[in-house]
Amino acid sequence: MGEAIVITSGKGGVGKTTTTANLGTALALQGKKVCLVDTDIGLRNLDVVLGLENRIIYDLVDVIEGRCKAHQAIVRDKRVDEKLFLLPAAQTTDKNAVNPEQMKSLIDELKREFDYVLIDCPAGIEQGYRNAVAGADRAIVVTTPEISAVRDADRIIGLLEQEDIEPPRLIINRIRKKLMNNGDTLDINDITTHLSIDLLGIIIESDEVISSSNKGEPIVMDPNNKASLGYRNIARRILGESVPLMSIDEDQKGVFAKIKSLFSR
Amino acid sequence: MKKQLVHIKGTKEGLVLRLDDCCAYADLIEELENKVSEGGIDNKVDVQLDLGYRFLTKEQKNDLVQVVEQSGKMHVSNVYSEVISVDESNELLLASKRDTYIGIIRSGQIVKASGDIVIVGDVNPNGRVEAGGNIYVLGKLKGQVHAGFKGNSDAIIVASHFEPTHVYIADKIDVMSNEKPFVSQHADQIVAFIDQNGVITYERLQEARNLRPSLNTV
Repeated sequence: MGEAIVITSGKGGVGKTTTTANLGTALALQGKKVCLVDTDIGLRNLDVVLGLENRIIYDLVDVIEGRCKAHQAIVRDKRVDEKLFLLPAAQTTDKNAVNPEQMKSLIDELKREFDYVLIDCPAGIEQGYRNAVAGADRAIVVTTPEISAVRDADRIIGLLEQEDIEPPRLIINRIRKKLMNNGDTLDINDITTHLSIDLLGIIIESDEVISSSNKGEPIVMDPNNKASLGYRNIARRILGESVPLMSIDEDQKGVFAKIKSLFSR
Repeated sequence: MKKQLVHIKGTKEGLVLRLDDCCAYADLIEELENKVSEGGIDNKVDVQLDLGYRFLTKEQKNDLVQVVEQSGKMHVSNVYSEVISVDESNELLLASKRDTYIGIIRSGQIVKASGDIVIVGDVNPNGRVEAGGNIYVLGKLKGQVHAGFKGNSDAIIVASHFEPTHVYIADKIDVMSNEKPFVSQHADQIVAFIDQNGVITYERLQEARNLRPSLNTV
């Protein structure tokens, strides 16, 4: 029996879908059988980020309405062999096409077959959110170091605490080292004390995340990227390893820059 | 001789009309009408009605007051009774209750209490606490608080870290975006209350005892 984890944030644009794609890929690279479920019915993106858009035949609503079996709708990602799968959302209808009970029984069915079921939650706190949370055992809240995103995270944590699931854990996404070190954004300590939930990991902002998403290739595939390392660390923490938090210091300077900074002191 | 149903007694506070609590209500009204029309009083005086153990509804009490005041010589300052209804008693009990909430009050959450409430945790922005009595926050108060929401203007708000967005006490509102140098300088340990001028005011926590000595129950 696998575990279902919902990835949510309240606010849009903080990186739920990117996080779902990358965490799923990272878990699959660790040898776990993972199914990603896109619950953003009507505004699906997860398939695009994973580069699986043109392989969709059936979708989540087809499964729920009984037009096909779950295994027929699930798309396999060939890059991570036999480990990573996607159940895409429907694009031609909206969130009200599904209700939480139907979602729960679908997720329960998937949990029998997969080690991890990652549920990509839509923005907002309406029907789409309720559907996404219905089948989850655990929740991950994604936020960015902006006050608006932290406020919405606070709201969503309050709602999650009313659900019958484990206490949610936090990912702080899109950290810009320079701004944070200068004190121009909230720092990690501010955010965790304000929200007072466990910190699962931090992701440092990187241009390659955007460019690789546009190519339909999760950044985790690139082992040398800082953001990729962040996602890999989070995947290991989900698997129960204890991995220290990475530092957000500026990148290592070159030899000349080091000498220069010695003199300028 | 028939038993007297209305006794008139003089006290320091003025005249007290002690009304018999065993006789029929109609008889009582009749005798009261006779008594107050007897005269013998020159100036208008304040009187109090003592109902003893008789329970009267609000309308009946108003009737009694009218009967007494129709003479034009008496003004009823207080109606006193030894008994109250179960509902009233429950309401009083609720208002004197003290609730405890353990946890964080997050954005969009409202916690309500009929009496006083102690919050063990933070009140985050857009979180809200409403209490019929006082509010005590053992954490960071960063949201909205409404003390004495049923109209108790003696209610106070105390927080170990005081940084709310809105402060309400009874029917008064204070929006904290206004410049408040005292609050920002002493954000740790503040008490908010309504002062003699009817304005929400802030003081160091240590002043609470001088401001509301009646809160001390030890």
